[in-house]
Parts: sequence; structure tokens; C-alpha cells
Amino acid sequence: MDMEKSKSKYVGVRITDKQASVLSRLQKDSKLSKTEILLQGLDFLDEFYSLGLDKQPLSEELSALENEALHHAAELKRVRRREEAIREMVRELRNVDEIVDKYQCDKSAAIQILLDLQAKNHWLPRHALMWVSERLDIPMSQILHLATFYKTFYLKPRGKHLVTVCLGTACHVRGGPRILDRAERVLGIKAGETTEDLKFTLESVNCLGCCALGPVIVVDGSYHGKMSSSKVEKVLSSCT
Amino acid sequence: MNKLKSASDLEELRKRILSGRDPKKPCITVCSGTGCQATGCEKVSAAFQEELKNQKSSDKVDIRRTGCHGFCEKGPVVIIYPGEICYLQVRPEDTSDIVTQTMMEGEIVDRLLYVDPTTGERIVHESEIPFYKNQKRLLLGNNRKIDPKSIDDYIALNGYSALAKTLSSLTPEQVLEEVKKSNLRGRGGAGFPAGRKWETTRNAPGDQKYVIVNCDEGDPGAYMDRSLMEGNPHMVLEGLIIGAYAIGAHEGFIYVRQEYPLAVTNTASAIRQCEEYGLLGENILGSGFDFKIKIHRGAGAFVSGESSALMSAIEGRVGEPRPKYVHISVKGVWDKPSNLNNVETWATVPFIITNGSDWFNSMGTKGSKGTKIFSLVGKVNNTGLVEVPMGMTLREIITKIGGGIPNGRKFKAVQTGGPSGGCIPEKFLDLPVDFDELAKVGSMMGSGGMIVMDEDTCMVDTAKYFTGFLADESCGKCIPCREGLRQMYKILTAVTAGKATQDDIKRLEDLSEVVRDASLCALGQTSPNPVLSTLRYFRDEYDAHIKGSCPAKVCKDLVTYYIDPEKCQACGLCLKNCPVGAISGKKEVVHVIDPEKCIKCDTCFEVCPDKFNAVAKISGEAVPPAVPQGTKVKRKR
Repeated sequence: MDMEKSKSKYVGVRITDKQASVLSRLQKDSKLSKTEILLQGLDFLDEFYSLGLDKQPLSEELSALENEALHHAAELKRVRRREEAIREMVRELRNVDEIVDKYQCDKSAAIQILLDLQAKNHWLPRHALMWVSERLDIPMSQILHLATFYKTFYLKPRGKHLVTVCLGTACHVRGGPRILDRAERVLGIKAGETTEDLKFTLESVNCLGCCALGPVIVVDGSYHGKMSSSKVEKVLSSCT
Repeated sequence: MNKLKSASDLEELRKRILSGRDPKKPCITVCSGTGCQATGCEKVSAAFQEELKNQKSSDKVDIRRTGCHGFCEKGPVVIIYPGEICYLQVRPEDTSDIVTQTMMEGEIVDRLLYVDPTTGERIVHESEIPFYKNQKRLLLGNNRKIDPKSIDDYIALNGYSALAKTLSSLTPEQVLEEVKKSNLRGRGGAGFPAGRKWETTRNAPGDQKYVIVNCDEGDPGAYMDRSLMEGNPHMVLEGLIIGAYAIGAHEGFIYVRQEYPLAVTNTASAIRQCEEYGLLGENILGSGFDFKIKIHRGAGAFVSGESSALMSAIEGRVGEPRPKYVHISVKGVWDKPSNLNNVETWATVPFIITNGSDWFNSMGTKGSKGTKIFSLVGKVNNTGLVEVPMGMTLREIITKIGGGIPNGRKFKAVQTGGPSGGCIPEKFLDLPVDFDELAKVGSMMGSGGMIVMDEDTCMVDTAKYFTGFLADESCGKCIPCREGLRQMYKILTAVTAGKATQDDIKRLEDLSEVVRDASLCALGQTSPNPVLSTLRYFRDEYDAHIKGSCPAKVCKDLVTYYIDPEKCQACGLCLKNCPVGAISGKKEVVHVIDPEKCIKCDTCFEVCPDKFNAVAKISGEAVPPAVPQGTKVKRKR
């Protein structure tokens, strides 16, 4: 203990700066009051003594205490995250409800419902699909059949930026595949994939209907026409 | 808005709209089709508004955002009325000149006019530009005059008068008779006579019948349906309502692809306006005829454009085709009689009712009447949508309207009919375009895609592209299509890699026949067309690939990149741009490509300045040995 070296602070008891910083961190993580944390520490020490571990120097005990507190805090966070995730799920399911109600639970509107859901959420989480299946009374296998049959639907989260390379016939004869090759190289993913940091999703489409501009690459809705493979990197680096 | 209760109500409304409009009031129309949106029409239109506000003349000039004009190559297209002055490729910074010079002073901004590439002459009016001059824009013509979100714009141009005529003075039988006499054939691809199809559904037993608009335009390189649906949705609705009346349907569906968001929005707003005006709903124009329309958005599956698949999708099931033992005209959506036509077909109906079948029959060829919209794309100078009378020759369309092939390259083929169509070689360029003539040379009309290919296009690669597309889009329900296409694609890949033999070509032909004869739906049955037509007309290219060379120098595996030491001026552009560092060289020293590292991305070929032209693609010939390291460049004098 280097109690003598550093100045002490009064929080019911006198502690060093280092201890104060540990305390404030614990406080932040656990949302307990200072006194409660200190009391927890005492309880813990008590346990230690009862186990006959009191021979260890105090600093070691304190660091053990700190570790334990951190562990508790992490656990607490995890619980909170789980709660948040559940809340998020509930929110998504409410979205589903809203959309399904809009179509009055009409089974024939299944595709329209999935489209609306996809537009709102950008992808289709499994629990949402299960809820659609439940609400419309259509077996999950059929819902998945729809969701995997059509190109518009995604069963995985998508990146922040959407990069679309047109491979329609007009773009194909003007060198579209070379543009896609370069985009794949630059982003390090294949068409249809998303980068690990969820920053980019790369996809190819079969015609955007602006053939005059071919070959075309679309980044987040803005069109870049008359592309050449040497321009791809510049276009992609424009989004961060 | 009070609902219109009779044909005369509509007539009065039209008069009211017209009297409220001053034909002399200046109007700026900005094309807002998807092509022009991609080139920035949003910003141009905002700049016009800003500029007019600055000049304090916002109320003296109208700005109208119209549908697609078709000349996408030169977008954004702006037309100034009165005077019909056409400005092309307008950028936001040009708007102040247009407002101060043209709107205020009546002067023309020369630099924004169309320049005839042959004569160098500047052309002021849209209708005089060769691209437009040689067309007959029956369906597309009004796109440039109306705001697709305004039903009043459509009514002002005699819109819904065909419907009024139908409901007030014609019986369903008379409408049907007129359409039959017009010999209108379905514009979706197969060219089945529309009148006969309508009749089948009309005569089919059952009270509940449906009419459907097919706007699931999946053919890559074709976008005419979208342009109509986006630019003039009321014309399609009017045709649909007339058709429903003739067939005896009280419910209709419009199947639009989700990928066409603007078409979805504009159609939805058009339906809403019709309901407000009493042109949809109960007792339309006091005739006692009820009709309502629902929009169904397609979620992206090429095969869903097939009629039976589309109907499955409307029922909310996976859009897979089903066997048609009983035709869908008799047993379609929910097994009820259903009549499905393409956007263009429905849009033609009001014209036939207004002008009569004789007028319609005066256009076109013996077997195909009227006009057809083509999307002219690929290696052609004027990319865009063109509408011509049936029977115009391919040569006229490509050279007169399309302005020929860019960069002085040589024409090789034109691909019509989408992925299921065929490639037509030069010797058939004088073929009149209609349903029957195209089928005779192994292609088809399809929905009207027309992709021009020049000598830099490899026909084997093209066949591979379409086969790959179709294999990808095959729903997998029937084996010939699912497995056959996959195997065909494998063989074609081997051909483009120079690893195939003549036996493989034989196998390709055999497979094509099986897929054609044994597939369930039209997607599979027509899928071998690209392979069969290229084999028929471009067999020499297949043979060249087997021998190890790609004449068009497209197929990566058969091409080597090489820098000509005689021409290289060591400018360093290729070296700087090479993504894999395969090029070595320095100032004054000839650059060399390391074939081991080269990924054949074409970048060096692209960036090498035209004046040097030092990077060459070599295929089927021996690559000259690399020059020794450090060879000095030969300066051009």
C-alpha cells in the first residue's frame, strides 16, 4: 500500500486516488452507491477471512475484489443487453403486428407483408418471420420458401452502405463484370455478401433500366454511370 | 372533388381544366424518368425553382416534372414551352442561363442544343432530332407532356375519353369486337391475339373474373413497361378498365416489380385519383359498371413474370409456374377466369377505342399491327426507348434512330427478345421487325429489348451470360430447366476457358433440345435460344474458342495483356492504376506486365492514353517475348 505517497480523499473512509478511480469505475459499471460498493467489499473480505485467505496482503485482496466487482458489472450489463434485445424483439414483433393488421391478416398478402417488413427493417429476422407465420396461420416452411425464393428478401443483416453493380445485358456488353470484379477486390467480399464490420453490402442486379449510363454502379442510391474499373475505388472511398 | 357521374361530367371537367390553363404561359418540363434521375434531374429541377425564385418569376412560369422522354443517352432532358425548345444534358449550373436567356429574352442557349453528329447542325425542336423524327410515338408521345402524378394533365389531353365513349355508347360485345378486329397482339412477348384471349375469359363460366396488368419486366436491358407505368399510369388504367368492361371483370390487379419504386408510387397515386374522380369504384360514370384495382408488388423473381407464376404470386404463394392443362384464361387466379396482358397491350386499348380498328390496322405489317416500343441499348450511339410502327427494319432502327455504333466499331449482332431471345447477325439487318419475322430467324419479339453488339462483344460470352442468368432464375420445379441449364452453363464456361472440345458442342446442342422440349414453362422452353442462335450464326466463334482464342478478346482465360515496347511512352498511368502491382517500369523505361501477377482486369488497357495505344490484348497468337529490363522508350516525334 502506498498510502503515504498519494493524497487521500474522504468518502466516509480515507482512500487513495487509485482506489478512488477504481471506486468510480465500479460505480459506473454497477450503478451502486459508493457506500454499497465498499460494504460489498467488506462482505467479500469477510468471506475471504472465513475461508482462511486473510494471510494475503491487502493490495492483492483489493485487486481480487476489483476483479470480482468487474465480473458482477459485466454480468449486469449482459442482463441489461438481454433485456434490451428482448425489448427490441418485442418492438419488431409489434411492427409485424402493425403490418399484418394493415392487410387484415390476409393470407394472400403474405408477400406484400414481407415486403413491407423488409422495407422497415432492411432484413427479415427469424423471430419476425415466425410471428408472421403465426399470425397468418401459414406454416413457417412456406414463409421461408417465400423469403428465400425472392431476391428482395434478406435473412441476414445488411451493411450500412449498399453497393449495387448492374450486370444487365447492356452493362454486360459494356464491361459490367469487370466493374464487379474490381468492387469485389476493393471490398474484399463477393457479390451478395456483407463486410464483417457491417459497413458494406455488395450485390449485383440484372438491370437497373438506365442502360444509357452503362456500366453502372449505385452506391446508396446515387448512380455512377459510364464506370471503368479504375474509377471504382474512388467511388467506394467516397463513403465512410 | 365531386365524383363524375356521366360522360358529360367528364367533358365539362376537361373544359374547366383547359380554360384554367393558358397555353401561352411558359412552362419548363424536366424529364424525371429513372434514366434522367440517374443523371441528376432532381438537382436540375431544384435549380430551376431556385433560379425562378431569384428572378421573382415563380408564378409566371410553370415547372412540370414529366415521365420518361426516351432519349436517356442525353439526359436530363429539358423542354421549354411554348416553342418546344429542347435542351439536352442540362446541368444545374445551366439553369440560370436558360431562365435569363430563354425564358426572359426568348433567346436560345446554343450549347445545350442537340448537335447532329453528321452535319454538325444544331437542332432546336425535339421533334426534329433524328432520334425522335423517325419514330412514331403513339404510347410514349404523351409522356413528355404530362405530370404522371396529375390526373388533370391526362384528362386535359383527352384522357379517359375512350372510357367515357365505351361506357356511354358501346356494349361489352362491341368493345370486344373492335379489339378483335384491330388484330392487337400481346406485347409481352408471345404475341397472342389480345381479342381472342379476352373472349376466352369472357366466355369462361363463372361470375368472378379478373383482369391483370403484367408489369413484372424482368428482361435485363428492357424498360419500356416501367417508362409507361411511371410516366403515364392513367393510360394503362384506362385500357384496363375498358378491358374489364369488355370481359366482365370487376376486380383487377396490377403486378409491378418492387424494383420499380417510382412505378409503384405513381400507379398507386393514379388509382387513388381515379377513385376520387369516380373513374374507379362503383357505378363508374353512371354506367352501372363497378371495378376496383389492387396493386401487387413483385419481390424480384424473373420467373414470376410468367403468367401462371404471376397468378400464384398474386394469391400470396411462391411465384412458380404451374402446368396449364386448363388455360389460365379459364382457370387463373384462385381458379377463376383471369385475363393477363402486358402494360403496353393495355395502354394501346384506349387508342383503338378512340380511333377505331381500321386506323390501328393501317399501321404495321400483315401479321403485326400498330406500333411497338423497343429499348435500344448496348453498343449504340443513341441509347433510349424508341417506338416505331411494326415492320420497320432493324437497320433503320439501329442506324437512323440509334445513330449507329459508337467509336467507328463494326456491327456484329443485335439481340432481341430478352434472355430467351436470339442474336441476329448482320445479314438479317434488313428484316422487318414483327412477331413472325423475328421468330423465323430464331429470335423473338419478347418484350422489346434490343441490345446492339459490336465486334468487341464475344458471342460465346453472351450465350454464357444469358444461360447463366436463366440458370440463376430457374425456379427449380422441373428438372430439364434446372439441371439442363446448369450443365449448359458448365459447358459454356469450359468453352470460354478454352477447355472444351467439339464433342462438348454436340452435347450442348443435345441438351438444348431436351430443355426446349421438356421444360414446364416458357422460361425453360425458350431458354436455349441464346445458345442455339449463336451456334447457328456464330459457330466460327465457338470453334475459335475451342482452338484457344477469343476473337473479341473478352474471355479472360484466353486473353493476355501486353505492352508494345515500340509504343510505350512510360507515362506511368498503367503502373499507377494496376491493382495488383503486375506492371514494372520507371521514367523513360518501357513498362512490362508480369503475366504471373496479372489478373486481366483490363485497367491498363483502359487507362493507356489513346494517343499511345500501347497496351494490347492478345488472344490465340504467341505473345512476343518481354523486352529486357530497363529498355529505354522510343520517343515519338
